[in-house]
Amino acid sequence: MTREAGAGSRVSEIRPAASGLNLPTSFAIVSRDESWQRGTMVESRLMHGQAHQRGNEIDAVDTCDERLARACDAAIEAAHALVDTLREAQVRMRVRATREDDVENVETTITLRMHDVSIVTTPADAHRDYELLRGLAGSKPASKPARLPIVWRNGSAAVLLHEAIGHAREHGAAENSWPAWLTVESPLALRRETFRDVPLPRMTHLIARLSGAPFAPPRERIDVQLVAGGGYDPVTDVVTIDIAVSSVGAFTIHRTRSEIAASLIGAVGEPIRYPGVICSREGQQLYVASHAPVMLMDSLP
Amino acid sequence: MTSLYRKWGRVIRYENGMLIRVEEAGEASEVEGVFEARPMPWAKGAQTRVSMPHQPLPEANVSQGVESFVAQTLLSVHSCIIERLLVSAGISTHETNGVTWTEESRRVHLSLVKERLRVLVDLASFDLDAIRAAAGALTRAGDPRKPPPRVRLAPNVTAALLPSLVGEIAIEQRGGGFDGRGLAIETRAVTADDPPNWYRPSYSIRPRRAWLNLRPLPFGTIDESAPQAVALLAPVIGTNLHVLCIDGDDVFPVELSAEHVAAVSGNEPVWYPYAAGSFGVEMML
Repeated sequence: MTREAGAGSRVSEIRPAASGLNLPTSFAIVSRDESWQRGTMVESRLMHGQAHQRGNEIDAVDTCDERLARACDAAIEAAHALVDTLREAQVRMRVRATREDDVENVETTITLRMHDVSIVTTPADAHRDYELLRGLAGSKPASKPARLPIVWRNGSAAVLLHEAIGHAREHGAAENSWPAWLTVESPLALRRETFRDVPLPRMTHLIARLSGAPFAPPRERIDVQLVAGGGYDPVTDVVTIDIAVSSVGAFTIHRTRSEIAASLIGAVGEPIRYPGVICSREGQQLYVASHAPVMLMDSLP
Repeated sequence: MTSLYRKWGRVIRYENGMLIRVEEAGEASEVEGVFEARPMPWAKGAQTRVSMPHQPLPEANVSQGVESFVAQTLLSVHSCIIERLLVSAGISTHETNGVTWTEESRRVHLSLVKERLRVLVDLASFDLDAIRAAAGALTRAGDPRKPPPRVRLAPNVTAALLPSLVGEIAIEQRGGGFDGRGLAIETRAVTADDPPNWYRPSYSIRPRRAWLNLRPLPFGTIDESAPQAVALLAPVIGTNLHVLCIDGDDVFPVELSAEHVAAVSGNEPVWYPYAAGSFGVEMML
């Protein structure tokens, strides 16, 4: 999903937002970003650069790291093999080859878009998620919107928790009272999108798990399949979730964290990988792998 | 369209406690509908008579300018919580379509919080008075009120709203400089036709047609006794505004609908970094 930039962090001035997290002193990146329509490439962007940090200052230049460039080129070539098999979708492929101090990483993400609905996947899951999108995008709502309990399917509850727990934690929000059966792993690390950016405390991933949760979904309910986006406002403590595909069509949830926590009444099964969270904060878009079980939410007041 | 666009840029940016200096150069092309962008060595431009920005960035001075402004800003807004402060100064040289030009820029984005209110400030200059005014109003803000029958919008509020008023009031594109394809920006009435110019905020973004540097044309008479909306409390959505308003000694949040513009001042407008450029001048709803 594409999440609009949140309302910002409540960081104290002068002190960098990085306190308590390991801050790499050097960062290098080579990335390729391509857009494809019906098997034809329409946009291609190469970006590279390096950043060196000393205290609260960063010097960044667009120097190319040849080793990362080779890794990036190899990954985008591998991703090209998928293009012809995803022809019904608009496809955006993005490879980021990075090095932070001595740690190298190559990340390939693929955004698929059909009928104004997007998902984000990886090469390993691209075909399965493409079929999911084909089945859901453009589908007609089974019923009209109503105030009903909500069942979050396909791991979509991970997006809700990404905003209500993950981002709240990034912003240092007060602890909230979540159901005892729910545990959420959402570790923070200093991450940046490009060499031009200041690293920020960001989630590396989110995994929600249950232990002894009740689960009794009523017959009358809303089934959420895919989420379009969301946000968390640290000033009002309000979470916004835009549902893209559900049994009642698209709709928006706009509630405080405490209202959301109180409404979670059950869950079932193992965490399911949600196809796509591209998280945007301060204009920096980063992939956050997200997993959650099927979750039941009471109808919201 | 096959013309090559090249850009060389340096910027110094303060971002929530960090100071970052960025130097980069890149080029972009569009060939038969395919847009490609890539970095390029600074020396490559020497082949096209531009080896680097014609006016090299005086890094020390610019850095001090940014840091000095940040320090003054922090002192000026101590009564509020700073949610976000971004301050930058940069210089860039552009080359395309046989034209080369250099631009210098300053940008400020400030988000101030007091209790459950957030004021947003966006400037293209290091204008400390504007920041002091926003912080002062936020500090004094009381409870929300219903919209007054007449409201004056301060230039910064007008500038944020103006892109949503295309087709609603008389607006011109103010001439001067070059667009993202090296075409001269000429003064034109903004119409429903395709804009004649192209907006390219970055070398890595495909340029798109856009009306640049919007300016509302003056009409009517401003009622100087009307309350004045001085600061945005949220980004403008369509013609809906959530603003901080001053009426005498009272300061209050109010939600406004800008569907009916009653007057636009003839005073000299100020440029703000909204959309593809927007000139602000006092306006009355």
